[in-house]
Amino acid sequence: MKIREMSTKERAPPVSISPSPWAVAAWVSDALAAIFFALALAQLLLLHIGPQARGGGETGWGWALLLIVAALMRGGAQGMAALLGQRAAAIATAALRARIAPALMMSATARGRIVGEDAELAITGIDRIEPYLARFLPLRHAAILSPLLIALAVVFASWVSAVILLATLIPFGLGMALAGSAAREASEGQFGALARLGGLFVDRVRALPLILSFGAEDRVARHIGVAAQDLAERTLGVLRIAFVSSAILEFFSALAVALVAVYCGFALLELLPFASPERLDFGSAFFVLALAPEYYLGMRRLAAAYHDKQQGEAALAALAHEERKIPDRSSDPARKMATALALSDIVVRHPGGVAIGPVNAAWPAAGLHAITGTSGAGKTSLLRALIGQVPIERGEIRLDAAAADASALTANCSWAGQRALLLPATLRANLLISRWGVSDADALDLLDVLGLGALIAARGGGLDWLVDDRGSGLSGGERRRIGLARALLAPRPILLLDEPTADLDRVAAESIVALLSRTARDRLVVAATHDPLLIAAADGRTVLA
Amino acid sequence: MIDDLVRAARSRQRRAVASGMIAGAVAALSAIGLLAVSGWFLTGAALAGLSGAAAVQAFNYLIPSAAIRGFAILRTLSRYGERLFSHQAMLFALADVRTRLFARLVDAPPAAALRFNRGDVTARLSGDVEALEEALLRTTLVPSGIATLIGALALAALAGIVALIALCAAVAMSVLLSRWVGARWLAPALDAEREATGQLIGQYVDLAAGGDDIRVYALDDAVRAALGDVEVPLQRARIAMARADAVIAAGHWLATGMVVAAIVLFSPAHAPLVALSALAAAATMEIVGGLVRLDLQRWKSRGARERLDAMFPAPGPQMVAAPADPSAEIVIAGHRIARGDRVAVTGPSGSGKTRLLETLAGLRDDAPETAEIGDVAVAQLPLAARRALFALAGQDASMIAGTVADNLALARPGVNRAAMENALFLAGLDDVVAMLPGGLECWLGDDGARLSGGQRKRLSLARALLADRPFLLLDEPSEGLDLDTEAMLAARLRGWLDETGVGLIIVSHRPTMLELADRRLALKVG
Repeated sequence: MKIREMSTKERAPPVSISPSPWAVAAWVSDALAAIFFALALAQLLLLHIGPQARGGGETGWGWALLLIVAALMRGGAQGMAALLGQRAAAIATAALRARIAPALMMSATARGRIVGEDAELAITGIDRIEPYLARFLPLRHAAILSPLLIALAVVFASWVSAVILLATLIPFGLGMALAGSAAREASEGQFGALARLGGLFVDRVRALPLILSFGAEDRVARHIGVAAQDLAERTLGVLRIAFVSSAILEFFSALAVALVAVYCGFALLELLPFASPERLDFGSAFFVLALAPEYYLGMRRLAAAYHDKQQGEAALAALAHEERKIPDRSSDPARKMATALALSDIVVRHPGGVAIGPVNAAWPAAGLHAITGTSGAGKTSLLRALIGQVPIERGEIRLDAAAADASALTANCSWAGQRALLLPATLRANLLISRWGVSDADALDLLDVLGLGALIAARGGGLDWLVDDRGSGLSGGERRRIGLARALLAPRPILLLDEPTADLDRVAAESIVALLSRTARDRLVVAATHDPLLIAAADGRTVLA
Repeated sequence: MIDDLVRAARSRQRRAVASGMIAGAVAALSAIGLLAVSGWFLTGAALAGLSGAAAVQAFNYLIPSAAIRGFAILRTLSRYGERLFSHQAMLFALADVRTRLFARLVDAPPAAALRFNRGDVTARLSGDVEALEEALLRTTLVPSGIATLIGALALAALAGIVALIALCAAVAMSVLLSRWVGARWLAPALDAEREATGQLIGQYVDLAAGGDDIRVYALDDAVRAALGDVEVPLQRARIAMARADAVIAAGHWLATGMVVAAIVLFSPAHAPLVALSALAAAATMEIVGGLVRLDLQRWKSRGARERLDAMFPAPGPQMVAAPADPSAEIVIAGHRIARGDRVAVTGPSGSGKTRLLETLAGLRDDAPETAEIGDVAVAQLPLAARRALFALAGQDASMIAGTVADNLALARPGVNRAAMENALFLAGLDDVVAMLPGGLECWLGDDGARLSGGQRKRLSLARALLADRPFLLLDEPSEGLDLDTEAMLAARLRGWLDETGVGLIIVSHRPTMLELADRRLALKVG
């Protein structure tokens, strides 16, 4: 397989997995509001201490107003943080989905996945990344900035208290590191067992037909019961250690309050066992005390959002895993005008399936050729392999006698498969004619020949008819003919068609066979078919065993 | 229904639930107490300091400073206990729920079970069962929150009736606002989110069916636009959810500001008690905020609970298990099949060969041709009667996540090692298993991921051989095998059939396998 450079067009812009700076700012401004709240509270209490502490007969309404405004600011900041985080996350996940969805849709067979699994990954999986981006990542930044801001505010009131707060960080960090690595070790030791036991229930539900057909349900149910208990016990064992981290966080957050309270109290009593390094008044002391719980708040919030992190990172890993399995698509290889196509000893195999082939064929640049064989022989798989949708195990494709790969062929062929893609857009957009500079009149003529004229007239709007996302109730045959029209309108030298006359009545099939014969005068038409009419009209026939 | 299961499972964990609740209440109260006593101590110390040396001497600083340290330690320990006990209750209750869900599914008609044989459904199932975790955790936390509240109110009341009323009003305001916003804004936004997610998945599946066209015509941008259009309502619903949360947060903090301001402005009590009450109120409101957020989870896990309800139907009336008559005659599309007969079912694809085998085995009832056992239509017979006659090695050769031995042991109770090894030999898989790390105990991963398609087929054949049933149902047993291996497999299988007298109904398009049969039964399309 040749390695080709990826063009920038096909690699959508990378998605930034970084938090919104505005959400971080909102979380930090929550800490700022907490400082005003503490200030107002301290000043209000000062009025209760009495005139000894403060001259004048202030009533405190001003401070009370500040208190309420600061509280509202906190609510606003927290709400804004959530909102801004959500907005940024929505943009990032939409970009992620836009990047990965088309690539996933084009490669499900090659990756051996069913569409439902991919849909679950691209929709629900990416949804799980949103809380991680919206909440956890901004909080991680805020958990560093907010305590620093709080400590800075404390410095102005009591620098000793600020030192106390900062000093608790050292044993805290040490304890977290130790507990974290112990928890990691414990969970790593159990990881395999936990993953197996955790997946057991879903696996046995999935395998229920198998279990029922052997009458093993009672044995399996007992096993599930035992395994579920075992899972609970082992998980609890891991959590016992993991919760030590949160206990350490809890302890230091309590200790910060206790130390500040005891220091300030003794300083006010002037009973400190050492010479007081600063002169503390009640207002400053109370301000510091009211701020102390805020110091560890950012980290406690971060710990509470830990589940978002686990889910988000797991989803990102699952996405990356599938993305690695997506086969490379080359950039636009040269478009050609007329092209001969030859297959030599091509063997095609679905992941985990049976081999199809070897197939040999030499098709000149013009002509109508049929691929036939009993159903299940692999006609569709062979055609899909030529456009890179099913892996080619060995053999060679030659375009105009030069070795080529499926992507080179894909760029030079048009396609009409069993189920044509209908976009929720106008018929014109679905036929892609503006892209190819085909006039409306030519397109309408072709649709008429294909027997779709009456349908389009009935729907009204001509080429502006809006095909909705469920295919507008088109029948299989109508849908197939729209796909065929698209293939015929595309100015590409090779047409690969899968059962172009299936689902059609005799008259329609005859006119399509005639149309294909005409097209084959200057283009190469390769059709997989059962239809004797089409086989009879073909210049050549390749039979799959 | 799921709610009933959850409730019953939780009541079986009564002790852990109760311990979790008590620890939670102690943790919350000591957090409030820590701050309140600190405020009281600080204010008292300031007053004493201002009143001169005599007052300082008279000020008892030992009790409050010991209380502060005590609360700090109590808060840490009880919070740890709370998390441990509530998770213990949750984990064991969840184990219980899983076991009972599985039992319920086993009792449902096979059609209900067959729905789960799809990746997307099982992926959603694991997410939905996970969502129950939150519902279970919530149940321990809410009662402990209420206990906390009572203690906090008593503490605030030390500053007088004004403080008590103000705090009651603030808590009520916060809770009522969140309830109102939750029902009025959050619930509809969550409904809209769920609907939009469903539409987005539908749109994805629709577009992905045209993956070939997307590649050939390079329709990447068109696909992005089509998905993007459906994404808009989803994003809008999420923003509406965030907005509802923001309104709740703003209301909660407004209540907090007002209660603290009211206590400080209007309480007639002595300064230290005012400080105690104000800080207790602030700490209480923080705990109430946490409870309000938890309460909102109720709306959020509703979707998962509804899906589980729909997926796991409540037990219905059981089919009466007619005893399987071992001598009953099998008639398929007019052909009589006696014990020990070897029949090949042939016909073009789409004629229902696989459906026939699965119907006989009891996994479905929609075989296109008539099939009767002892004059009763097969579809009328319960699963138990059908599977007593047939051992199926199906087309998909599905496996459970487990070892080789786990998969073989499904066949019947009490399969020993020697029997397993013999069956693997007959299926021509003994060499492969010998090469696997751990042999019979080798972990195969999900659905036999470690094996190739052909190897899985043969393992599934070995399992059917072990089942000890009067008939073997084989669906394309040699798919993915080369001719030599296929010939060896056919020879061993023939020997085993001769020896045991077990009957055979086989579907295959390979001549070597078809030769195992004495006669053919041709199906027509339609």
